[in-house]
Amino acid sequence: MNPNSTATVSDEIASLRPVVHRLALLQLRDPASAEDVTQETMVAAMEKQATFQGRSSLRTWVIAILRFKILDVHRHRKRQWPRASEHAPADELQATGADEFFDSNRRWAAPKEPWSDPSDQVRSQQFFGILEACMTKLPSTMGRVFLMREWLELSPAEICADLELSPGNLRVLLYRARMQLRRCVEKNWGAR
Amino acid sequence: MTCEDTTWLVSDARDRELTAIELADLSHHLASCERCRGASQQFSVLFRQLDAYLAKTDDGG
Repeated sequence: MNPNSTATVSDEIASLRPVVHRLALLQLRDPASAEDVTQETMVAAMEKQATFQGRSSLRTWVIAILRFKILDVHRHRKRQWPRASEHAPADELQATGADEFFDSNRRWAAPKEPWSDPSDQVRSQQFFGILEACMTKLPSTMGRVFLMREWLELSPAEICADLELSPGNLRVLLYRARMQLRRCVEKNWGAR
Repeated sequence: MTCEDTTWLVSDARDRELTAIELADLSHHLASCERCRGASQQFSVLFRQLDAYLAKTDDGG
């Protein structure tokens, strides 16, 4: 790799810092830990940039490093992950929120228009922005659990064990997170 | 099966494989319910974009 292309990759990595930080904060929900893991990720990406093969996008590569770092935090400091029951109000764990969405016959209370699929990169970035804002709005425990499942790809059994959640409570949390995300995106993306 | 029941299956499908019976019930309900077809399409756009955002697929740029 010649010096010029190295400089370009460094710049590109540096430009990903806000993306990395936002995702770290969404997962950890703790500014200090999010800052630490962001810093570690940026340092690791800079140090390892010669190993970046270009088989994936740089964004994907850097987010994979962040994911690995967060899984590492998770494995080594399991006891520092707050128990879900300590932080989630009972209704966040148990209520399904069905009345917000369905009528008395359990039918969708309002029509559901298909969304346009963001096909190009600009539209996809717009969708990502909405998605990020909507994930930020999820209650803290719900958001953390949602990303443990969807991003870290921990199994439901692992998440239940780590957070001392029952399988039923986990299922409700994931369901509510997905339902709330759908509704939030609907309001902001809709049938554009 | 109600609309609410279908949303549980759509969510569960992210975490486990649905049984043949569940899949049949789901497609039977979707065939006759426009709102659930709309919601189901929205969920599939949502999950596809979420996977891209989380760099699980590489079309996020």
